[in-house]
Amino acid sequence: MAFETVKVGKPLLLRILPVLSIVMFFTVWEVSVAPPDVHDWRIPSTLLTSPSDAFKLGIDKLTNVNPDGATLLTHAYVSMQEAFLGYILALAIGLPLGLMMGWFSMVRGLARPIFELVRPIPPIAWIPLTIFWFGIGLGGKVFIIWISGIVPCVINAFLGVRMTNPVHIQMARTFGASDWKIFTSVCVPSALPMVFGALQIALAYCWVTLVGAELLASDQGLGFLITMGRNLGRTDIVILGMVSVGLAGAVIGVIIDRVEAKLLAGIRR
Amino acid sequence: MSNASQNVCNEVIVAGGDRKPFNIVAFLRNEYFLSCVSLLFFFSFWHWAASSHVLGHTSALATPMEVLSRLAELFTSTLAGLTMWGHIWASLKRVLIGFTLAALLGVPLGLVMALNPYVNAIVKPIIDIFKPMPPLAWISVAILWFGVQETPKIFIIVIGSFIPALLNSYNSVLLIEPELYDVVRVLGGKRWDEIRLVCIPASLPAISAGLQISMSSAWGCVLAAELVSSRSGLGYIIIQGMKVSDPAMVLGGMVVIAVIAWLISQTLEWADRKLCPWRRDIKSF
Repeated sequence: MAFETVKVGKPLLLRILPVLSIVMFFTVWEVSVAPPDVHDWRIPSTLLTSPSDAFKLGIDKLTNVNPDGATLLTHAYVSMQEAFLGYILALAIGLPLGLMMGWFSMVRGLARPIFELVRPIPPIAWIPLTIFWFGIGLGGKVFIIWISGIVPCVINAFLGVRMTNPVHIQMARTFGASDWKIFTSVCVPSALPMVFGALQIALAYCWVTLVGAELLASDQGLGFLITMGRNLGRTDIVILGMVSVGLAGAVIGVIIDRVEAKLLAGIRR
Repeated sequence: MSNASQNVCNEVIVAGGDRKPFNIVAFLRNEYFLSCVSLLFFFSFWHWAASSHVLGHTSALATPMEVLSRLAELFTSTLAGLTMWGHIWASLKRVLIGFTLAALLGVPLGLVMALNPYVNAIVKPIIDIFKPMPPLAWISVAILWFGVQETPKIFIIVIGSFIPALLNSYNSVLLIEPELYDVVRVLGGKRWDEIRLVCIPASLPAISAGLQISMSSAWGCVLAAELVSSRSGLGYIIIQGMKVSDPAMVLGGMVVIAVIAWLISQTLEWADRKLCPWRRDIKSF
């Protein structure tokens, strides 16, 4: 062999530092929070909860329905259900719409002005109107999540089609492909990387909006858990809710990453 | 639909085509004509839905005209001691303060993280912990910590716009083509020259894109914070409209929110073109 593979590892310090940093972070957090009813230099427990206490509460909340009326898993299940319903609906409507808007000028002419009217309104601003329309049940939250998810879906699918290599389209046309045929066998496949990008962005948007929707109007769900904790003055419940939301978001993100890698295998970026 | 094939590609048609005789089918299929039809349909459907109370009760939707007149009223009379202009300024001020703080913290930190592996090794894990947590989840804790004044709202906005600003400036440096560094090195540049001549200009478009994302996130955050607890701002207007069952006020507030959000994004877009005219990606939406 004419060449030798040289393995360049990271310096030891660079491998240790991230671990050290996380350990430091949790230690400082743990140490700087005072136990209940202790008043010294530390942060009082009414403002912050130590990670160990939050963890203990989390274990306890798995089975205990007090004081907010449901176990942690119920809250998580309700939140997930809302988020996924809204997400799936956003994909089911947003992606075809965006793809068609990219290719058919008729669809573009009809759908674009309404889309442009709705787009600048942050999803959160729909909450009051949604409560008029749907009350505080599942429907309203799904609607808000749907609104927040559909915008990136439409934009990405649209841009994906518009960024199709014109040479491919011209070639298909030369070989006598119909408009519909070009759309299905040239534009849609070449828009796929952008579409998968949209899956991720839309899910992130949906998850963020879900918390907003639940903070204002709900009776179950992780966002509700946070609000309830604040109303009861239980900082530990607030922190537990935040951690659960963050954890669930991270897990969903990892899953989507995996799925995307599977789906995108073989497609040139 | 031969029109579409010319529109869909990236090539620029400077001038071309010849005048076609008037054709009713082509006119009906014209994109601008269709846009007018769709807008007309949208507003008349809205009017019909509002005036015939399809949604059940009278306070579910207001007609477009009612919204406009309510909006005019809001601009002239006061609500909670402020006219509409006052509420707009209240929201805008919070967004500007929070956004500026987040940009001043996030962008340099992102650059330093990308340029120095040791800073990256220390800061990145902590950023990764906070990244998946939606900014709105911080509202309750912000209220517990800072009360109900301005501070918690600005805190939420900073949280919401810090992460996109940081991640975009971080990623932009990592994505710079290594050949550009080689050029500077071949010409005898030092590390500082690489940063000054390559990193900053090459990452500016992505930083600017990140700041645009930050801004829209900040705008969503300020509304959420105002919905939860506030005595002023656009979020206060729509939540107040909800409390007194006045859909015209809610919709009027939403219209103003949309207009302001649109103006902000246009301003940032303009600033982006001025700051980094060398960006090359397609932005046609």
